[in-house]
Amino acid sequence: MDASVARVLIEAAVKIVLLLGVMLTTIAYMTWVERRVSAWIQDRRGPNRVGPFGLLQPLADGIKFLFKEAIVPPHAFRPIYLLAPVLIFVPSLVTFAVVPFGPTLPLFETTIRLQVADVGNGILIVLAFSSLGVYGIALAGWSSNNKYSLMGGLRSSAQLISYELAMGMAIVGVLMSTGSLRLSEVVAHQAAHGWNVLWQLPGFLVFLTAAFAETNRLPFDLPEAETELVAGYHTEYSGMRFSMFYMAEYANMITASALAATLYFGGYHVPGLARLGLPAWGEALAQVAAFCVKVACFLFVYVWVRWTLPRFRYDQLMNLGWKVLLPIALGHILWVSFLVLRGWA
Amino acid sequence: MHLLIGLIATLVVVAFLRALLPVRPALLVAPGLVAALALFAVYRHDLLRLEFWAGATGFIAILSALLIVMHPSPMVSVLFLILNLFCIAFFYLMLQAEFLAVLELIIYAGAIMVLFLFVVMLLNLRAEEGLRLGGGLERYAAWAAGLLFAGLMILAIQRRHDRPYFEPGAFVTGFGSAEDVGSLLFGKYLFAFEAASVLLVAAMVGAVILAKRRLE
Repeated sequence: MDASVARVLIEAAVKIVLLLGVMLTTIAYMTWVERRVSAWIQDRRGPNRVGPFGLLQPLADGIKFLFKEAIVPPHAFRPIYLLAPVLIFVPSLVTFAVVPFGPTLPLFETTIRLQVADVGNGILIVLAFSSLGVYGIALAGWSSNNKYSLMGGLRSSAQLISYELAMGMAIVGVLMSTGSLRLSEVVAHQAAHGWNVLWQLPGFLVFLTAAFAETNRLPFDLPEAETELVAGYHTEYSGMRFSMFYMAEYANMITASALAATLYFGGYHVPGLARLGLPAWGEALAQVAAFCVKVACFLFVYVWVRWTLPRFRYDQLMNLGWKVLLPIALGHILWVSFLVLRGWA
Repeated sequence: MHLLIGLIATLVVVAFLRALLPVRPALLVAPGLVAALALFAVYRHDLLRLEFWAGATGFIAILSALLIVMHPSPMVSVLFLILNLFCIAFFYLMLQAEFLAVLELIIYAGAIMVLFLFVVMLLNLRAEEGLRLGGGLERYAAWAAGLLFAGLMILAIQRRHDRPYFEPGAFVTGFGSAEDVGSLLFGKYLFAFEAASVLLVAAMVGAVILAKRRLE
């Protein structure tokens, strides 16, 4: 095997394994954070028995899910029923491959780009894979062969399709001001001209709202409208397959937070860091840490909003998506084109 | 190409034996996996060649295309159509047209196929209902079209002379990039592009009017 090819393959494999490890650990601990923060908001204590501060709770939960009986209902369409949790989990993890989590890191006499794939169409790949998440939900609902599952699946997929449009239109603003589809150039542009959120606040708000809807989180968590739909598309799932849906939800949250940080809050850029005169590797690590902090802030907002806002009714949800967010996003495109034409963005 | 041919041969042998012998599937799949791993170990250099990936994708594309037509359940057919679209996107990727590959995923796999899925789900077609052809005339027409297409393919393969099957270097760099496609759409083909958009709006308005008239 060619030495340079081997080097590229090994570098990519190491980055993928590291990123997967970080993602899965964060997913596990997000369940703990969510329960502790919700307890704090509601003036309760939350899970604090397993390990110090309840920190081993995710481990206990994982073991419990693995040992539960994984039931396949006899009336389900078996191949698709088994495939659906995978289809919903994979796109949420794949999207992270194009998100840059740091600049280049000098290591072992070479430089390593802190991003799995710096592809020319990064923004489009994000949109492509987020639109593929619909299949998992629709197929889970259909293959369970249960009317509540089917209704939940239909509602969730209609919701995803409606909000995808507003999200794409909001991202067009970022694309126009950057002039490139490459996510690392989006970050570089923000480092040079100020963070996008300063100039594109309406776009950011549309993006954030659509991201909440895309991840099926409150106030848009129709699948979990228990009084109407039992548990929506995952009613018939149990054991680890059931928890795959939750893991996918948290993975989607992490990816959406990382995208919000990258597109609007400068990604790994920290203003004034270059003036401190850190060594190159120290500066790179500080920027990775800054990126993690930004993502963590967005994740906290996710949990915070969940315990602040009540759930939308289904028709309100559709009205908001099509009659409010989409016009705002279209108007925002006009605003950004004005900025770009005047040379201000 | 040895690796690809070997893998396909293994797959075919395992599939045939599974259909013929009444033994547990694991007894046949396990030796098949061992054979496949041995092939990977012997011909591992093929893994770095583009021809292998092109051939493998082509094989999956043809297999999934056959299953779209032949599978009894319409829902599974839709899923195989999505797999087929992924294969086509991969072909674009190998021709260095990354932008077209991503568009293929967004438009076909991400949007159009979702509508297909909804229609199949809501019509709730039972198995084999989707498969049944109409009367005799349709059947003969299908045979004629199939034979014509096969003839065309044979002609195309004969006419290629000694050119290789797959030439990734035949395209200029930037072919099919976002900039290229954009400047073509808004330059050379501006009129066709705008006319198509007007046509689509007209179709949408027509659909809304047809749907709403029934409600009143």
